[in-house]
Amino acid sequence: MNHIEVESSHLDVLLVEDSPGDVRLTKEVFRDTNIDIHLHVASDGVEAMAFLRREGEHVNAPRPDLILLDLNLPKMDGRVVLANIKADANLKSIPTVILTTSESEVDIVKSYRLQANCYLSKPVQLEAFENLVKSINDFWLTKVKLPQQRQGG
Amino acid sequence: MEMSKKRLFPDVVQGHIGTMPLERLYDLVHDPGNASAKVVEAPNSPEESLRDSEEKYRMLLDEIQDYAIFMLDPRGAVVSWNAGAERIKGYKAEEIVGHNFSAFFSPEDVKQGMPEELLRVTATNGRHEFQGMRVRKDGSRFLASIIFIALRDLAGNLRGFSEISRDLSESKESAAKYRGLLEAAPDAMVVVNQSGEIVLLNVQAEKQFGYRRDELIGQKVKNIIPQGFAERLIADGTRTAAEALAQQIGMGIELTGRRKNGSEFPIEIMLSPLESTEGILVTAAIRDITTRKKTDAHVLELNRSNEELGQFAYVASHDLQEPLRMVASFTELLARRYRGKLDSDADEFIGFAVDGARRMQRLIQDLLAYSRVDTKGNDLVHTASEEALRRALMNLRGAIEESSAQVTHDPLPTVMADQRQLIQVFQNLIGNGIKYQNPGVPRIHISAARNADKKWIFSVKDNGLGIDPQYFEKIFVIFQRLHKRDEFSGTGIGLAICKRIVERHGGTISVESQLGHGSTFTFDLAGSEGKS
Repeated sequence: MNHIEVESSHLDVLLVEDSPGDVRLTKEVFRDTNIDIHLHVASDGVEAMAFLRREGEHVNAPRPDLILLDLNLPKMDGRVVLANIKADANLKSIPTVILTTSESEVDIVKSYRLQANCYLSKPVQLEAFENLVKSINDFWLTKVKLPQQRQGG
Repeated sequence: MEMSKKRLFPDVVQGHIGTMPLERLYDLVHDPGNASAKVVEAPNSPEESLRDSEEKYRMLLDEIQDYAIFMLDPRGAVVSWNAGAERIKGYKAEEIVGHNFSAFFSPEDVKQGMPEELLRVTATNGRHEFQGMRVRKDGSRFLASIIFIALRDLAGNLRGFSEISRDLSESKESAAKYRGLLEAAPDAMVVVNQSGEIVLLNVQAEKQFGYRRDELIGQKVKNIIPQGFAERLIADGTRTAAEALAQQIGMGIELTGRRKNGSEFPIEIMLSPLESTEGILVTAAIRDITTRKKTDAHVLELNRSNEELGQFAYVASHDLQEPLRMVASFTELLARRYRGKLDSDADEFIGFAVDGARRMQRLIQDLLAYSRVDTKGNDLVHTASEEALRRALMNLRGAIEESSAQVTHDPLPTVMADQRQLIQVFQNLIGNGIKYQNPGVPRIHISAARNADKKWIFSVKDNGLGIDPQYFEKIFVIFQRLHKRDEFSGTGIGLAICKRIVERHGGTISVESQLGHGSTFTFDLAGSEGKS
């Protein structure tokens, strides 16, 4: 297998999640699901925006193909992060999926109003979570045509 | 007119309380054109005329029991005294004639110079009409309606004064009847005039406010009801007194009462108008609502703490889910990756951890479902129970097919229900019928019948294991199970949820059963007719 080809075919996913357990769990499940996914992690909203805007230590950060965004985050709330992404001409074309434990109707409605691309609630059972990650991979990272702006900014 | 329609006591009306309007008496005493009044106007007229007129005048005055009528000299000493005055004020003529009329005033009024002031004002204006407190011989006080008239001779010299007064608090036939009714009333009753002064009250009012009757008569009602009452009586440019009052009639108004000792208590007052010779009086029925307020507060508090408890259960189980998700997920990962790679003890320990975490997840999910019965319930609407049953059976399709269960039902009615919850009740009861089975084919029948209260009694009858009667209560309690976990799975939530749902619908649920002979669960729901 050609090393260059692998490099060029991988997908970058930004996971915005503050719980280390959830981060690790998501990493594990993604690793089992699709080896070609590079999962980058921002543990709060401020860091997520810095990553997306390549600020500070994130100056060399890749433009993610998909953002998985938790709603309840320290420093900058996930709803604010979502609003910022969708208000930013450079970032708004990145599909942003809400992945949260909240099943509140208010959160769901608000997220879609802020133009979230879809809203998923984290299931409590591991197996169900694995199935969900598979679905994300099958749909958002496999079937869906994503804009090719890898080098853009 | 609205006012007269609402009149409480029809016989207490204009002209009936007194035997003669004050105005006519005033004319008799004052009008120079009147024969008997001339005597007063001109005491120095010829003797025969004087005797004749005096006779008529005295006869007239003596007939009058309802009014105190007497004359004063220019300095206020009593010079004449009629029967009414004797009766009302308690002095015989010989006891009072020659004494100054300040004896009829309270010491406070005398101190303030009120008697002198009264004479001065009357002398200036010729006539002075007012209501005020008077003191009887025995020291007791009463509210009087008073007309003071300056008496002048033909040359215009001040010769003295005449007072015509009536005891407003005094018993007359109809007033007595009214007072009797007041006393019979269970509530404190206070009658107030348009100036906001108390003219009549009952013994309950004395007790409630801690005053003696004579301490309240003539006082401003503001003293016992500081706010909200007197203001309601006020007529202004835009409305008459009757209109001001009409807006308040028949409404319970919650205000604060103040006792003599200064303590305050919540009251509810109901106002009704009472027409009298003094104009419209207002009768206020005053109820001490301290107890009701306390009960209301308790009920409110109870509801609040119940709500808080429900909220707590919901929040606690919701928040517990998060760390538990971590425990369950990682023990599961641990089991998958390391089963058979450590030793047999490790496998066993991991197995218990995984099992414990899974069971806890189920418990928490069930607890959430249980608290959602109340927190996430929908309104009760017309619901076809047969459709609810059909959906429950659809949800149970797997279990029904697996067990070859035969589920039958009679025609079922439309009821007032939250459809989602009714589906759940059917689903849980039928599911139990299928689950708790002897080897054999589960047979379950659902029917409904009307009871005497026009409620629908639903029955779900199965041919399962049956329940020992000693557990009839216990099975409806949350997380109570009758079987070991390895016999039947489940947390013991199903019937608890059924009970909570049925109770939320205003019904009850119960079971009839014998071990080995199946069970029949019954619950009742309100029919949908007569409601919208």
